[in-house]
Amino acid sequence: MEKMTSPYKWGMVIDLDRCTGCGACVVACQAENNVGLCDKKEIAEGRDMHWLRIERFWVGEYPDVRVRFLPVLCQHCHDAPCEPVCPVYASYHNPDGLNGQVYNRCVGTRYCGNNCPYAVRVFNFYPHDWPKPLDNQLSPDITVRSRGVMEKCTFCVQRIRRAKEEAKGEGRMVRDGEVQPACAQTCPAEAIVFGNMADPQSRVARLSRSPRRFRLLEHLGTHPSVYYLKGGGREHV
Amino acid sequence: MKRRTFLQLSGMTAAGTVLSGCQSGNEKLIPYLVPPDEGVTPGKADYYASSCRFCPAGCGILVRVSEGRAKKIEGNPAHPVNRGKLCAMGQAVLQELYHPDRVPQPLKRSGPRGSGAFTRISWEESLELLAGQLRALQREKATDRLALVTPQLNGTLVELTTRFMRVFGSPHHLSFDLLGPDWLRTATRRSFGQPGLPWYDVAETRYLLSFGADFVEHHLSPVQYGYAFGRMRQGRDTVRGHFTYVGGRMSLTGASADRWMPARPGSEGALALGMARLILAESLSDAGSLAVNGLQTEKLLRRLEAYDLPRVAEQTGLPQRIIAEVAREFATTRPALAMAGETVAFQSNGPDAVRAVQMLNLLVGNLNRPGGVYPDGGSRVGPENSFTELLSLVAAMRDGRFRVAMIHGDPVHAIPPATGFQEALARVPFIVSFSSLMDDTALQADLILPDHAALESWGDVIPLAGTRDRVIGLMQPVVTPLFDTRQFPDVLMAMADKLGGKTAAFPYQSYQEMLKGTMEKRVGRAARRDFETVWVELLRQGGLFETRQGQEKGYRRAPGSSLPNPAEPRFAGDEKRFPLHLLVYPSIAFYDGRGAPLPWLQQLPDPMTTVVWDSWVEINPRTAAEMGIGFGDLVEVTSPQGAMRLPAVIYPGIRPDMVAIPLGQGHRGMGRYARGRGSNPLVLLALITDGTETRPAWHATRVRLTRISEKGELVTAGHPQGSYRSELIEI
Repeated sequence: MEKMTSPYKWGMVIDLDRCTGCGACVVACQAENNVGLCDKKEIAEGRDMHWLRIERFWVGEYPDVRVRFLPVLCQHCHDAPCEPVCPVYASYHNPDGLNGQVYNRCVGTRYCGNNCPYAVRVFNFYPHDWPKPLDNQLSPDITVRSRGVMEKCTFCVQRIRRAKEEAKGEGRMVRDGEVQPACAQTCPAEAIVFGNMADPQSRVARLSRSPRRFRLLEHLGTHPSVYYLKGGGREHV
Repeated sequence: MKRRTFLQLSGMTAAGTVLSGCQSGNEKLIPYLVPPDEGVTPGKADYYASSCRFCPAGCGILVRVSEGRAKKIEGNPAHPVNRGKLCAMGQAVLQELYHPDRVPQPLKRSGPRGSGAFTRISWEESLELLAGQLRALQREKATDRLALVTPQLNGTLVELTTRFMRVFGSPHHLSFDLLGPDWLRTATRRSFGQPGLPWYDVAETRYLLSFGADFVEHHLSPVQYGYAFGRMRQGRDTVRGHFTYVGGRMSLTGASADRWMPARPGSEGALALGMARLILAESLSDAGSLAVNGLQTEKLLRRLEAYDLPRVAEQTGLPQRIIAEVAREFATTRPALAMAGETVAFQSNGPDAVRAVQMLNLLVGNLNRPGGVYPDGGSRVGPENSFTELLSLVAAMRDGRFRVAMIHGDPVHAIPPATGFQEALARVPFIVSFSSLMDDTALQADLILPDHAALESWGDVIPLAGTRDRVIGLMQPVVTPLFDTRQFPDVLMAMADKLGGKTAAFPYQSYQEMLKGTMEKRVGRAARRDFETVWVELLRQGGLFETRQGQEKGYRRAPGSSLPNPAEPRFAGDEKRFPLHLLVYPSIAFYDGRGAPLPWLQQLPDPMTTVVWDSWVEINPRTAAEMGIGFGDLVEVTSPQGAMRLPAVIYPGIRPDMVAIPLGQGHRGMGRYARGRGSNPLVLLALITDGTETRPAWHATRVRLTRISEKGELVTAGHPQGSYRSELIEI
């Protein structure tokens, strides 16, 4: 039997000092992953389908007011609260440390979404259709999810797979920076860095050792694979 | 199929696979009824390099094409402007290509104007229709009664339109963009005697002082400056660049700043000169730079006498201590950089305020230095029309001077109605629109000749102020056209052909050939011998990227240029009846409105307010509380020019005496995703005159608010304050 360990532990670092909150990552994620188009009514009901959102916080009062942005996506926890509650094992952990979701196994109990402290799993409440010829934009690499399943960020697993296959064909490991999810690829300020945490020399592993690092809701003990770096420097508020 | 049959069949297939052994069986497994013509391999994507022309920044893109369909747009890593990065708008251009409401073929109006009743006609018929109109003008020797209205064009397209209009015999080509940086060009010419736009070296600077320049959102080249901003912040080992933002509304760019200085609208120029005076008085200025530019400290100080700290503090409404602190930080940190942006420029005293900010750069000696300002590498070839020229065109239209108007773009939506453009246009008997979507202008047209989408077009894009190098991005069609559309330049060439006698003016068969011809001229003699190979290589890499060989001309103060002296700001609207300042700003998703038809952009939560699918008015919490306005209430905004109803957003980052409305929504047409969403704040803008020129008072209009009801129907993607408590997640 093949051993269940892997030389890869995919992880991400988001530098909040670089992030300008511009939203390029949000659209890139939708474009890459066939995320459904939600009209105003659906979003009003809280049934928005974004896999990646930018949280915005107002701190202080005029004129000493500041804004902070926090891109939130699936944190790919090592002790993921969504996994043990899934009755059909649609939510699972893969050897690379990804928190995976098997769409055709999902029966839509939404227990996982209920248990996720980061509110990053989105449920398909409606059938999302792409009016012709808009359906031409759908990526052939990813399934188009139907109504009634839970979906989420996968760190663009289709890109990871391709990179791994290519590397395997050439008999080597995936190089640092060779594979990037759509959000990291497009981020103008290079705030999002993705890579192999298991390689201590990778850029993402080096950044994750920064003294500015923290993880979301760390006290819950979910051990996310996404590290954030706090803003630095002097602040005047 | 029965289970038994299925098992039999699968058993046979498995055996077949084993038998075929080492041969690659894959080709046999997926047969085509109609074999693909272009060597399409199923499941294998190709990447085509092209350029984004959504905004003037002109980033390079790579389009992922799979089975003949464009799937995803990514930044081109080889392009010097965006280096593989791309903004939200650039990603969404894909939806322009596949928009379900594109105009599929030429349309002729069949009902009253603006009713939207059109009948489909063929290209032959439509071209003949236009040619007939133009021939009539030629016959009557009235060729100057043709007007061409386009956005600011560049590259080969300018050559073509200029030649067409000249050969036809009409001088009336208005190339105008509401967001075009003419103001910056004019100010730079007056300060430094050079028309080139500035290129700011943000990545290397240590202190960035932005006077309303929203470089993360739309100012000049947002992806380029977003990249530079990231490097300024955390790209160097020991230095973290400091960023101070001046402006009455905290924009998305301002949100990234370490310090926000909410100066009173119209006082930014005075603030810059106040800082200049303090820097000179405390001898913090760069003596070398002053000497090179022929300035003396004592003389300057005498001229700046009026801008003493207490007076500037009173004008701007900022504490003296903070002004002095920022001025000292700016002067003592090297290199430091000051930028001026739209919110400053569109005041009544805008031109001088922009020059005042430019003078700060001169004082601290950062002209033509790393971390400072350089002239950009872009070559400006096209006509640049200012607002004044727009006004004179409108006046001529109103007098009934035009018989035919050919319009590219959507000026009916993007030009403030205070100019009278919309009414004047109604007096033109024959309007031709080249819009590929049924936008507000196309709705008024008599004939629609739909253009290709950007991803189906040939073209060259000269990026706006994105590099110091000469860059010409190329556009190539990445998919075969979806509909029966034709590219705007090809239509012009066909028209020239039809009008006859002038074909010599266009020695090319198609625009593609013309483009190839101009590129051949640009690459230089050495490369021209085997141009076919060079051309393919240029298309492959996405354009012509040249690094500059040190022949550039740096900035130097124009001899005899006067010191900027911003006047007291004036506002449209009486202070008593209209107590609040209005700021109209380009939204990060819609730019001047062209992003509104794309659903990805409509449902992209606005970063500062998280509002989706709508427009809104931003009000300071204190002002809102005083007026009894709650989050999401419907309010009426009234200016001397007009009124509109909008949902309210309580916005902590705006001055209490100010409200702000994003641009881009409020289309009557533009397809199912844009139609009837939000409102267009341009109807509120009045015009202001500063004695020499008239400009739209984007930031110099006063308004009043009236609460209407609590039913604003505002939808936000997040909680108004964020769905976590920020202290819980440690930021």
